[in-house]
Amino acid sequence: MTARTYVRSTLIASLVVLALGGLMLHVRIHPVAKNFSNIVPVIAGILSVIVVPLLFSFKRTLAYGYVLNGFLVIIGTVVMAHFSLAHWPDAATPGAILLGTALADIFILWTAFFVGKVLFDLETFGYAPDRQRKGIPYRYPNLGWWLVHLAAVSLVYTVGNLVWR
Amino acid sequence: MNRFKLFTLNWWILHALAILFFLYLGHVVKFPV
Repeated sequence: MTARTYVRSTLIASLVVLALGGLMLHVRIHPVAKNFSNIVPVIAGILSVIVVPLLFSFKRTLAYGYVLNGFLVIIGTVVMAHFSLAHWPDAATPGAILLGTALADIFILWTAFFVGKVLFDLETFGYAPDRQRKGIPYRYPNLGWWLVHLAAVSLVYTVGNLVWR
Repeated sequence: MNRFKLFTLNWWILHALAILFFLYLGHVVKFPV
């Protein structure tokens, strides 16, 4: 087995177990029967467990896996932030905001993003250890592009929530 | 040819669809307190 095959398989496995953990946790804590909005993590979880790893597995679909994985993380971030605002701690002290909201869950979710990013970068740009990184930070496929999309999705979602009631 | 050209779909159509999707998502997701 080559180092590339090993690293790729390990990263895909880490995405699968992370997504499985997230899916199972959501099904347990936020059952769909309680609130139909809880269907969002179920759909996102199934996509993350099955579709994302499949897309990441083939060179032709790698970029689609990268984009789907990233947008699922953005959706999770925005919806969990919405959940936190809806269940805002009564005494919003810094400690309560840090530990009493879904901030920790959002941090865990971003692991999936960074694993996907490393997988995409290695598969796209190669595994050479001395390769210099190039490209404009705010253009695809770099981190700034994702931050722009996180901000844009947050804005559009907020408009949908507050204006289109 | 852009190496990272993801979708052959027109950029504007893609973004219009994405905006509609996220507007709808914001509209349907409710967390009653």
